[in-house]
Amino acid sequence: MVEVRLERVSKRFGRVVAVNEVSLVFEDGRFTVLLGPSGSGKSTLLYLIAGIYKPTSGRIFFGDRDVTELPPKERNVGLVFQNYALYPHMTVYDNIAFPLRLRGVPEPEIDSRVQEVAKLLRIEELLDRYPGQLSGGQQQRVALARALVKRPAVLLLDEPLSNLDALLRLSIRAELRKLQQSLGITAIHVTHDQAEAMSMADKIVVIDRGRVQQVGPPEEVYERPRNLFVATFIGSPPSNTLPGSVESDGGYPVVRVAGSTYRPGEEEARVVEEAGLDRVVVAFRPEHARLLEAPPDEGFDGLSLEGEVYLVEPLGKENIVTLTVAGLPVKTVTPPEQRPGPGEKLYIAVPRPRVMLFDPDTGLNLWSLAEQLAAARRPD
Amino acid sequence: MRPRLGPAGFFLIPALALILVFYVAPLILSVYISFTPLKNWNLDRYLGETSLDNYRALYSLMRFDPDFQKVLKTTVVFTTVTLAVNVLGGLGLALALYFMDERLSLPYRVLWLLPRMTPVAVYSLLWYYFFLGSPEGTLNSILMRLGVIDEPVQWGTDPRLLPEMAWAILVIVNGFVGVSFGMIVFYSALHNIPREQVIAARVDGASTLQLMRYVLIPQIRWHIVYVTVWQLLSLLTTFAHIFLLVEWGVVDRYWGQNLALYVFLKAFSGGESYQGLAAAAATILVVIGVVLGFIALRVMRFREMMVEPKGELG
Repeated sequence: MVEVRLERVSKRFGRVVAVNEVSLVFEDGRFTVLLGPSGSGKSTLLYLIAGIYKPTSGRIFFGDRDVTELPPKERNVGLVFQNYALYPHMTVYDNIAFPLRLRGVPEPEIDSRVQEVAKLLRIEELLDRYPGQLSGGQQQRVALARALVKRPAVLLLDEPLSNLDALLRLSIRAELRKLQQSLGITAIHVTHDQAEAMSMADKIVVIDRGRVQQVGPPEEVYERPRNLFVATFIGSPPSNTLPGSVESDGGYPVVRVAGSTYRPGEEEARVVEEAGLDRVVVAFRPEHARLLEAPPDEGFDGLSLEGEVYLVEPLGKENIVTLTVAGLPVKTVTPPEQRPGPGEKLYIAVPRPRVMLFDPDTGLNLWSLAEQLAAARRPD
Repeated sequence: MRPRLGPAGFFLIPALALILVFYVAPLILSVYISFTPLKNWNLDRYLGETSLDNYRALYSLMRFDPDFQKVLKTTVVFTTVTLAVNVLGGLGLALALYFMDERLSLPYRVLWLLPRMTPVAVYSLLWYYFFLGSPEGTLNSILMRLGVIDEPVQWGTDPRLLPEMAWAILVIVNGFVGVSFGMIVFYSALHNIPREQVIAARVDGASTLQLMRYVLIPQIRWHIVYVTVWQLLSLLTTFAHIFLLVEWGVVDRYWGQNLALYVFLKAFSGGESYQGLAAAAATILVVIGVVLGFIALRVMRFREMMVEPKGELG
């Protein structure tokens, strides 16, 4: 059980920069999720931690120990793959025992440890079978057992649930999380599934194009996305984004967006002026918008848009309503009883705290842009 | 009602016809000829009467004719040693390639495929010059220049070096051709093993040797069986290279001759030719091939590998 620390780690493959100057801390005993689209460099990052790849530059620490130059076997990590990577010619027992046999652990001890971990994962009945005779869920348990049997310092999970069907994924997700908590092991889990990340993580690291986009607990990443990428990658359906132009209303900056005017809060207005922005991207989450028959009353504080219903997708517990607002698609989530018909004219109301503004050039959320401006002003 | 020919049967007709005409018919014909005293292609005179004379003759040749005994010994040694070289060499090359950088492995593979791509005569000619008994022979001139030997050596024919040197030449010449087959089959089989298994083993602390022994080789067992049986059967019947080596005097006429070449020479060489006897020897060769093939499959537990997987698939 250790803390894993990356210091300015980069990995290049030829001219491709897969991981770019990543500095991160994975706290001891916590469950951290590396979240990003395919090709974002998240698996490369995992393999760097495992020691499969050597970083082009930067250092990797397990606790106080610098493991940058150590081969995988000296790092004592457990690795679980999307395709389970079980050895098809070995029984479940032999698969689990394999890491211990390689270490020359005496057979009686191997046996007791295999039995122990098999019990933990409830696969005692399967020990004599071959992987080909198991279902996907069972195979993934075996893979997990093989990773845990050597009592690793860090458990690395490379999209371990992606090959499972939806229902099984939900139950194994919960099980995996409970298991990690009861063992108190440092776990790093790679996924492209934001729902999986949200539900499992103590901390989410959002990665895109080899760079860390945001680090934080799930709520924070969801509520306060640092940039447009995070805002549109996390959440289902993803955040709506609309282009807006900044105008002045008696000296106070307002945003013209899709035919209506939005008056930003004072904090944001200050950033807009300070950065001299003439355009912003207005974003909000579909679940934060309400659909109204009539325009919101005078006192409504937030963003109000007028749109025409284009498509309604009933999901049972809710409906996803797609509208066109000034020619642009906007998605909203409505309760099941609210089910407008296509072509209906409706009003979208988003309360002020739920409206996010981004700088279109850097993609940064205005609060994050403000931090950058402040940092740039600070003399070294 | 007329029995209908299913689509499977229909599409099989062309292939079956070819097999019938070019494999089954000649096989039956040569088994038949093996019971006739056919010689010098005198079909009018000898076809018709049948007896076991050819088999009896072969039996006594085996017991009393020193030249035929040489041929038999050569066949056994040549086949087993070359088979081992082909399978183990192919496996070794494939594993080496597997751990090699892709940029390096491609030219390497092409290099090893060259002997197979080169026409038999050209390839054999290269070895003819290599083992040539005169001072101009490649091997002789190298060794003489290095001062290892003082005068040229007749590598394949010098009685003092027989039979081992002649056998070595046969194995080398055929080994370089055969080894690429195993290499290609094993290499592609290795590449079908999910990379994650290799990574998993590495993370678990497997050395390269352990990785080969416990993870890679067990998973290409099927391919090893296939290559072994295939090479065994083709080595039993190969004679093109050997024929040229014998004809050109690179190797001793009998210590450099396998049974397949014996069959060919008996049936087709100039002067007196004995088709009946050759056919009998060929028939025995086929029987040996079939028996050895089955034994190989048995030993390698082929049936076990064909067991249907249980449980849900996919």
